[in-house]
Amino acid sequence: MAAAATMVSSAGGLLAMLNETHPALKLHALSNLNAFVDYFWPEISTSVPIIESLYEDEEFDQRQLAALLVSKVFYYLGELNDSLSYALGAGPLFDVSEDSDYVHTLLAKAIDEYANFKTKAAEGNDESVVVDPRLEAIVERMLDKCILDGKYQQAIGMAIECRRLDKLEEAIIKSDNVHSTINYCIDICHSFVNRREYRREVLRLLVEVFWQLPSPDYLSICQRLMFLDEPDGVANILEKLLRSDNKDDALLAFQIAFDLVENEHQAFLLTVRERLSSPKLQYSESVQSGSSEPDSVRDRNATSTEDVQMTDGTQVDNSALHTDPNEAIYAERLTKIRGILSGETSIQLALQFLYSHNKSDLLTLKTIKQSVEMRNSVCHSATIYANAIMHAGTTVDTFLRENLDWLSRATNWAKFSATAGLGVIHRGHLQQGRSLMAPYLPQGGAGGGGSPYSEGGALYALGLIHANHGEGIKQFLRDSLKSTNVEVIQHGACLGLGLAALGTADNDVFDDIKNVLYTDSAVAGEAAGISMGLLMVGTASEKAGEMLAYAHETQHEKIIRGLALGIALTVYGREEEADTLIEQMTRDQDPILRYGGMYALALAYRGTANNKAIRQLLHFAVSDVSDDVRRTAVLALGFVLYSDPDQTPRIVSLLSESYNPHVRYGAALAVGISCAGTGLSEAISLLEPLTSDVVDFVRQGALIAMAMVMVQISEASDSRVGAFRRQLEKIILDKHEDTMSKMGAILASGILDAGGRNVTIKLLSKTKHDKITAVVGLAVFSQFWYWYPLIYFISLAFSPTAFIGLNYDLKVPRFEFLSHAKPSLFEYPKPTTVPTTTSAVKLPTAVLSTSARAKARASKKEAEKGKPSDKDGDSMQLENPADKKAEPEPSFELLTNPARVVPAQEKFIKFLEESRYVTVKSAPSGFVLLKDLRPNEPEVLSLTDTPSSAAASNAGGSVTGQQGSASAMAVDEEPQPPQPFEYTS
Amino acid sequence: MDPKFTEVSQVFQLFKAAFVRKDFDTCMKLLSQLKVTLTEFKSLPPLFEETPNAIQERTLARDIYEHAVFLSVKIEDQDALERDFFQLKPYYTDTHGLQPSTQEHPILGLNLLRLLVQNRIAEFHTELELLPSSALENPCIKHAIELEQSFMEGAYNRVLGARQTVPHEIYVHFMDLLAKTVRDEIAGCSEKAYDSLSINDARQMLLFSSDQDLVKYIEEEHPEWEIRKGFVFFQRAKESAPCKEIPSLQLINQTLSYARELERIV
Repeated sequence: MAAAATMVSSAGGLLAMLNETHPALKLHALSNLNAFVDYFWPEISTSVPIIESLYEDEEFDQRQLAALLVSKVFYYLGELNDSLSYALGAGPLFDVSEDSDYVHTLLAKAIDEYANFKTKAAEGNDESVVVDPRLEAIVERMLDKCILDGKYQQAIGMAIECRRLDKLEEAIIKSDNVHSTINYCIDICHSFVNRREYRREVLRLLVEVFWQLPSPDYLSICQRLMFLDEPDGVANILEKLLRSDNKDDALLAFQIAFDLVENEHQAFLLTVRERLSSPKLQYSESVQSGSSEPDSVRDRNATSTEDVQMTDGTQVDNSALHTDPNEAIYAERLTKIRGILSGETSIQLALQFLYSHNKSDLLTLKTIKQSVEMRNSVCHSATIYANAIMHAGTTVDTFLRENLDWLSRATNWAKFSATAGLGVIHRGHLQQGRSLMAPYLPQGGAGGGGSPYSEGGALYALGLIHANHGEGIKQFLRDSLKSTNVEVIQHGACLGLGLAALGTADNDVFDDIKNVLYTDSAVAGEAAGISMGLLMVGTASEKAGEMLAYAHETQHEKIIRGLALGIALTVYGREEEADTLIEQMTRDQDPILRYGGMYALALAYRGTANNKAIRQLLHFAVSDVSDDVRRTAVLALGFVLYSDPDQTPRIVSLLSESYNPHVRYGAALAVGISCAGTGLSEAISLLEPLTSDVVDFVRQGALIAMAMVMVQISEASDSRVGAFRRQLEKIILDKHEDTMSKMGAILASGILDAGGRNVTIKLLSKTKHDKITAVVGLAVFSQFWYWYPLIYFISLAFSPTAFIGLNYDLKVPRFEFLSHAKPSLFEYPKPTTVPTTTSAVKLPTAVLSTSARAKARASKKEAEKGKPSDKDGDSMQLENPADKKAEPEPSFELLTNPARVVPAQEKFIKFLEESRYVTVKSAPSGFVLLKDLRPNEPEVLSLTDTPSSAAASNAGGSVTGQQGSASAMAVDEEPQPPQPFEYTS
Repeated sequence: MDPKFTEVSQVFQLFKAAFVRKDFDTCMKLLSQLKVTLTEFKSLPPLFEETPNAIQERTLARDIYEHAVFLSVKIEDQDALERDFFQLKPYYTDTHGLQPSTQEHPILGLNLLRLLVQNRIAEFHTELELLPSSALENPCIKHAIELEQSFMEGAYNRVLGARQTVPHEIYVHFMDLLAKTVRDEIAGCSEKAYDSLSINDARQMLLFSSDQDLVKYIEEEHPEWEIRKGFVFFQRAKESAPCKEIPSLQLINQTLSYARELERIV
């Protein structure tokens, strides 16, 4: 402060000098004031008008200095807008590179301002907005400086913010690591660019940049193209890779296909599949031999009554008279990739994985069953739901088979949902779904033999089995729908059809469902409304207007509610495009339509964390007169925020303490939805008090939400998981507990152990693309408040947590890799034990009816190959409790392909260096193609026809029955369809 | 000796000569030239660099500005007076080894008087507070303070009578101006206090010696007044704006919305 010490105590003298007539004096005053402005700005501020007039004086030759001075004074006064406009007037005197608070603040302001201008210009399509060229110059100077200094990330951020795609491209290309820069770019693009249209522009640019690179990253390009909805580009890339001589390229193509499938964008995948050109061959025989050709699937199913055949990649008839070996290879690969793109390959593999790794705990169910009162139908069906969820996708329906008597107590709608539950259990069982459900399906004409409830349930089940992959079953469901006028069957058929044809926007199907809607039957109409939404999901078609009109017309609340949800589904992911519709719905007189409006907001802005949407939802959450709307508004926050789960507990924490139980309920589910499967500590802390709320339905919601959050979190990583399990048990066993919370507890135990404990709830794919099926599934699931059978929609949100490595033949070879963490952190929860011996005896009886046969077959094969199965079984590290006590826990474990890898475990996964296989992309979970480094050695396959896949050598040997059946799991030996059972009521 | 310093000294001599001759035009020209030259000296405020000749240079500069103040009084330019005074002030406040000037107190008093004349009472008191207590005893400053007190009390005749007791000949000019300020003040009060006054009363009130002066004053300063039948009518310059309406609707709305919000509290 030496300078300050020798300074004048007032700037009055200098200010007085400004009024002098001689310009030299003015200049002297100005330059001195400029030097001392940091200290004397309060004094100078009173004389700003004089300095301003100097700036405006055309004849004064130091106008820019005056502008700079005024700008600084305004900066100190906090008037950044004025400050900026004068700084612009200062021209070159405003030094961008100066390291002072003033310059930093003004630069930030300038960039903000510029970004605002550009955004407004772009959004309003208003060419008349002219950006001040001086402002532009400053921002450009700044951008160039960032690029020169190697601060590419800053440059990229600014360029994106300011909509300067030219600069963005420059920054990316000049950066030293283009690939990582692009990935950074993609990340921020997804998390910070709110306008959908603009995001697409940026992505399009990125794709262009990708193409310019010497070694394009096809995986990324395809992901981007998918986002941009450009199937042609993807098809071209795939075809190029497939036609390559290099086997690795083909592997890459397969990998791309798997990654695309993970995003569940059915319509897009279908188009890609169609665009892939056929091999140039005389291929007549393959049509005849290839009833397995995916592109013929549809026509075939139009007439066939058989089950959908799974595409088998190896089935292509290679004996055909191929003239060109290259074309032959291409044809073979094409078949494989079509299989993958249809989703069938991954569904099949996931199914095998879930089946072979099923670790569900039948004892829990048994306890639930015993503690639930017989006459209490709510808890009875809740138990059935819990069973279905626990075994989702595993095809294990042991529990149902063992308790046929008990099951038969389900009547009417309970029967409907009991039958539909089979669909959840057999989800993804595409080949045999039809035959599995056959006994319950409507026979021939309307109202054949069985009860309409089980028939309707069976149709719904078919939909669940074929959800989002319903090309094969669609026609059958349509026929069933047309041939009946029983509203229960219509209900089931509508739901089933909606699920099977999810997002296909098929007009014929739509018309069929519309006919049902116009019968104005409450039960069928509700399902029709939802179904129309499912069919049109994310299309934003004008059909929504039609639906809205009918919703105003009809008297039935149920139909209005179904339609409201349906309309909401149509705007899925459309963001701003949906605003008009949302506005229309949220201003409606009818609370049910406003309620639909909340869903529309939730789905249109799913996972965007869009501020406007959040603000609107919060507004409705506290201001609407209807409790339903408020509840839904809060719940919808969960959908808007799922891409950023850390945020949700903070945002809803106040609401979770609301006096209104509906709001509390909504808050619980919002956290459940957005933090599903994360085990986020704050989320658990928020939900904990709600699980002992005074209002029963709040407890229900909180329990379910807690289960969603805790799915697949082991007790070792968060001790509260154990406490929660005990709490659930206590609620279920407590005779005096309310039915509502009891039901919540039962469902929660189902969700907690979902899918044989090998699935989690995931709304985002690994590439941060939203999984449309999962989001839609959860949205409809949250409707269970009104209609319990919709609980099954949660199964759409389940995704297997597995690492499945595949070789060129899309088989699963034996391949070991490392999980560099204590095994106990991620192990399965220990099976519940019952102190009495009776249940221990009972347990082994939990055997599939087919297991005896399968076991025999397995042992025969084992004998042939002379391979002891237990040796392989070790690899799963299902540690024997006795061993564990003896030695300290290892700090790592070896996992064998395919293995369960829970999300939290992913960061610990390492691939062994000396391994025979190398992954095509380094991903810790999901489907990963493996490159064989020793192609000449024979491959050992797991999960296939070798018996070595006895992964189910169970812990403590408690469930011996499944061991045999596991080995029966093979590509060509699917488990036999279980024997049909009849309701004995 | 620094040639620049010598040059300034010489020009200053010329200025002083012209000042004595009362050749004010020359003075103005020379002064402007001096001021520009002074900006080149680094030892002067606001830089205060310690050059070898700093003390002499500052003393000279202060001298120049003091003369500039007197010059502006002579040519009756109040703006210039203010300007020059502020430029001079740093030499008094930040002395940096400068000997106090003999002209300091008269000039400070002059400034106070100027503020009084311009009816800028707030600034007057600000300036006063900045003075050390010893300075308050100085006759020049005391004079200004007394004037201000009389002025505030409304003892206008005492203000006008003070003309005879000026401590410095240069103050005389200001006393005339002060009379005018006082008159304006009285006129403003009368306007508020009376509807009309007889010309005689008005003349006495406004301290005029003749009716002509009064009429002339009214014509120049208050054309809205009317002289009729030997009376001066103060037309109430436009009836004061009707008192503001209470924004009742807005208040009601606000209260209602508070009530609604209260009900909705989460």
